[in-house]
Amino acid sequence: MTQEKLAEIVGVTRQTIISLEQNRYNPSLLLAYKITKVLGRKVIEDVFVLE
Amino acid sequence: MIGKPQWFKRRKYTGWGFTPVTWEGWVYIFIAILPLVLIRVFSPMNQMGIILVVVWALVVGFDFADIILHLPKDERDMIHEAIAERNALWMIITVLAIGIGYQVSSSVVVGVSKVDPVIVVAIFAGLLVKIISNVYLDRKD
Repeated sequence: MTQEKLAEIVGVTRQTIISLEQNRYNPSLLLAYKITKVLGRKVIEDVFVLE
Repeated sequence: MIGKPQWFKRRKYTGWGFTPVTWEGWVYIFIAILPLVLIRVFSPMNQMGIILVVVWALVVGFDFADIILHLPKDERDMIHEAIAERNALWMIITVLAIGIGYQVSSSVVVGVSKVDPVIVVAIFAGLLVKIISNVYLDRKD
């Protein structure tokens, strides 16, 4: 899945997805949940790591 | 209303407002400005001409405001916009306060009041908006 496609599905800009991948932005819980669901994972911790 | 927010994006580095990102947006801007130019060029600035300009400017102004309020932005855009606008506001308030301080001190020296009421009203208007916003947000959450 491309960044643009993921951004479109979860309702954010591609720039936001890029910032997430580069650890430069912390998503809201809702956005984290949406991304986790789109990526087919069951829990948020499978996609995001709390540091 | 008339213009669609999807035709534009928020200005981030070149002031306030929006800039077209589609051909529809550019056509919209052209059509919004064209009547004002035509009225100015082809009709004298009599009462009717002034009324036409004011009415068209109001229509365009309200549509611009509607576009700005509904510009597409995600949570990251909203956070960035809030921080940038807050910083800009603090700079404006600082400069206005310095301006008032200068005017008050000049007034004391000269012995004549020279404080610009517009600056004072601007600061109090901003304060009122801040109070109303905080009351609304406290009740909302």
